[in-house]
Amino acid sequence: MSSKSAVKADSLSREKVGYWKKLGIDLAKNPWLYIMLIPGIIYFIVFKYLPMWGIIIGFENYSPFLGPFKSEWKGLYWFQRFFATRKWWDYTSNTLILSVMSIVFTFPAPIILALLLNEIRNIHYKKVTQTLLYVPHFISIVIVVSITYVIFGADGIIYKLTQSVFGTTIDYLGDPKVFRWMIVGQNIWKETGWGTIIFLAALTNVDTQLYEAAMIDGANRAQRLWHITLPAIRSTVVLMLVLRMGSVLDTGYEHLILMSNSLNRSVSQTLDVFVYQNGIVNGQYSYTTAVGLMKSLVSVIMVITSNKIAHALGEEGLY
Amino acid sequence: MKKIVSLLLCLAMVLSVMSFAAAEAKEEMTLNVMLPDFYSDSDWVTLENGNPVLQAIYEATGVKLNITWVPNSGYGEMTSLTLADPTNMPEVMVIQGPRDAITISSARAGAFWDLTDLIPQYEYLAQGQESTYNNTAIDGRLYGIYRARAYARAGIYYRNDYAAQAGITSVPTNVAEFKDLCFALAGLDNMYCINMCKYVAGTIGYTTVMFGAPYQYGVNAEGKIYPAFEDEKFQEGLDFLRELYAAGGIDPNFMTIESGNWDDAERSNPPKALMRLDCLDNGYRYEEWLEANAGVDPANPVVTLLTALPNDEGKIQIWPQNTGASGEIVVTKAVSEEKLPAVLKFLNWCNSAEGQTLLNCGIQDVTYWIHSDGYRYTYPEGEQENSSKYDTYTKTVHHSLNQLGMNVNGDLTPPTAQTLLRKQYNQNLLDNAKYVISNPCLTFDSETNTLMGTTLATDVEDAQVQYIAGKIDLAGLKAAYEDWYSMGGDMIIEEFQAEYDAQK
Repeated sequence: MSSKSAVKADSLSREKVGYWKKLGIDLAKNPWLYIMLIPGIIYFIVFKYLPMWGIIIGFENYSPFLGPFKSEWKGLYWFQRFFATRKWWDYTSNTLILSVMSIVFTFPAPIILALLLNEIRNIHYKKVTQTLLYVPHFISIVIVVSITYVIFGADGIIYKLTQSVFGTTIDYLGDPKVFRWMIVGQNIWKETGWGTIIFLAALTNVDTQLYEAAMIDGANRAQRLWHITLPAIRSTVVLMLVLRMGSVLDTGYEHLILMSNSLNRSVSQTLDVFVYQNGIVNGQYSYTTAVGLMKSLVSVIMVITSNKIAHALGEEGLY
Repeated sequence: MKKIVSLLLCLAMVLSVMSFAAAEAKEEMTLNVMLPDFYSDSDWVTLENGNPVLQAIYEATGVKLNITWVPNSGYGEMTSLTLADPTNMPEVMVIQGPRDAITISSARAGAFWDLTDLIPQYEYLAQGQESTYNNTAIDGRLYGIYRARAYARAGIYYRNDYAAQAGITSVPTNVAEFKDLCFALAGLDNMYCINMCKYVAGTIGYTTVMFGAPYQYGVNAEGKIYPAFEDEKFQEGLDFLRELYAAGGIDPNFMTIESGNWDDAERSNPPKALMRLDCLDNGYRYEEWLEANAGVDPANPVVTLLTALPNDEGKIQIWPQNTGASGEIVVTKAVSEEKLPAVLKFLNWCNSAEGQTLLNCGIQDVTYWIHSDGYRYTYPEGEQENSSKYDTYTKTVHHSLNQLGMNVNGDLTPPTAQTLLRKQYNQNLLDNAKYVISNPCLTFDSETNTLMGTTLATDVEDAQVQYIAGKIDLAGLKAAYEDWYSMGGDMIIEEFQAEYDAQK
């Protein structure tokens, strides 16, 4: 044994000791902080890390009666299968388009609404408005879709109205071109009010002296908004956007399934819907686990990229 | 006197001991059952809440039914979720799709008891039709007891009063006259002809088969299997529906109508749709509804039942609305081997006259009444005006218990009165049976079909709906058919062909 490797081993072990030592000192110093950490760690192990082993069925021909250990090993078979069908790009592009649309249109909506609410001076009026805006969030998506059907269906007000005003009408519930706008519209209606909460909280932190100073300097309302309010909530906006990127591919299958039919299926079939229909309804657990895993990989890439962009913009980002 | 009293007392004692012994012979057991539910609010249908029908079943058999009610619309999803968790399965459950991928894979993995050798041992179960049993077989083994349905109940019914308004007084006798009738009805203001909903398979299937196409798969003169949509008669049927749609004969929003609201367009006043291609029994139910709610004279029915129409070449074909069954009842491995005979004994009892009556009609003078004409009604004699009140009560008490009924040995329930239309319906069933066609590949086993069949069929059906609604042209439809082949359809045909050839 050469002295070199002995030195290396020694330094390694010293490093290790150093780390554990540091932890030990810290533990002695703040025991309660670490004790309080335990439930969190247990939660992550039990509900996040252990279930991750479930992805193993994406590489098997899984049967619930044989269990994950006895099912036949298939390797990358299901991935190959998915990419061999020409539809995989349809599902993926439907998912991406719907996600991008929801980022572009539904993400800014609560910011704008929060800024508008912030400008209301009558405190009672503001409170009432805010409360009313929160209501749609508590309405189940099933009810939202039912209301949409009633309003936009063949006997609905909007349908009849466009028919009598323009002579012709749009098939709101069947036309593939309208489908995505309906989804985005429903999401905006349902979630915008609730989304303002975090931005309103950020707005309360803005130092009012800045506004006073700007007013003395002769800044009008728009200038104050642009130069004071927006920069103040900028980091919140970026953080919310990065968080949002992680779930951007979650298109919410229940919403899409409720809204989809034979006429618009070409655009309503996203990865989530595919996974639900083939996995839950048709019981192809392995196939759909593989597809779901692929979706997660894309999500991870998107989070990392958006975090990098956030750093490039000089913001803190997620980590 | 004393002697007589003591004798009577003795007799009473003997009788009570005997009845006690009889009760003892019935093994007490709890049976967990999962059934589709057609009504909401099933809370009252439990033994603990004193449901009289469940109580009667318990008294007759010693079986305490513990029922998990699953809304019918989500039953398929609940089935696969249930089968995904082998430790928590019900003991007896309804399987709505005996040939669905999930059923086949679960049966192969050993989720259900193999009943092939056991069915013949039970009196009533053994009386079932062998061919219908075989339709549900997986790898040649029986895992379930089918739930019998009238084999040929598909047909057309329409409002003859509105047909007369549109100038057609005679009942169509062939497909060409049927088409004339449709376009005449489509011409009426604010009314559609064919009542369609989200569930389009019935209308498309019935029309194309009536026009002369095979059902799902056909076999050509060279013995080659091909998908029904390749048949030119199939295209003729689709073209007819497309023309009718363009002529305003179909509600443009039919794809947003849930099957649960299918009746709405017929039962509004005035009706929005005048014809339906569906189960014929809905036709006489519609007429009976009109008689009860719209003052229609029972002597002059306004609903006409129509079936077995010859096509342009004189060929008569009827769409098989079902395979003589509506799903099956399986016994899962949650039942131990020791318990299995008792469970099968109970399922056998469900087919007895007593069992059938309890499951399908309930209890006499509680949920059904025998009137002085000797027929069974859903309300007491002389209470016709209040019949809906009794209906509501029946639904609460009896709920969807009939879903557990199999009736493989025929209908043994007390007969109902024969209205004009019901008589005609029974005649239609007999006529239809001669013309019903079947899917030649029904019992074939194709791995690709099991895995991809449902998804592929949905894609093709979507394209057909879009074609009918004028959203895509013939080229678009053909492209969807091409997709069907390239995404696995060619494999399905190949695998079916192999089995077909092997069978010969």
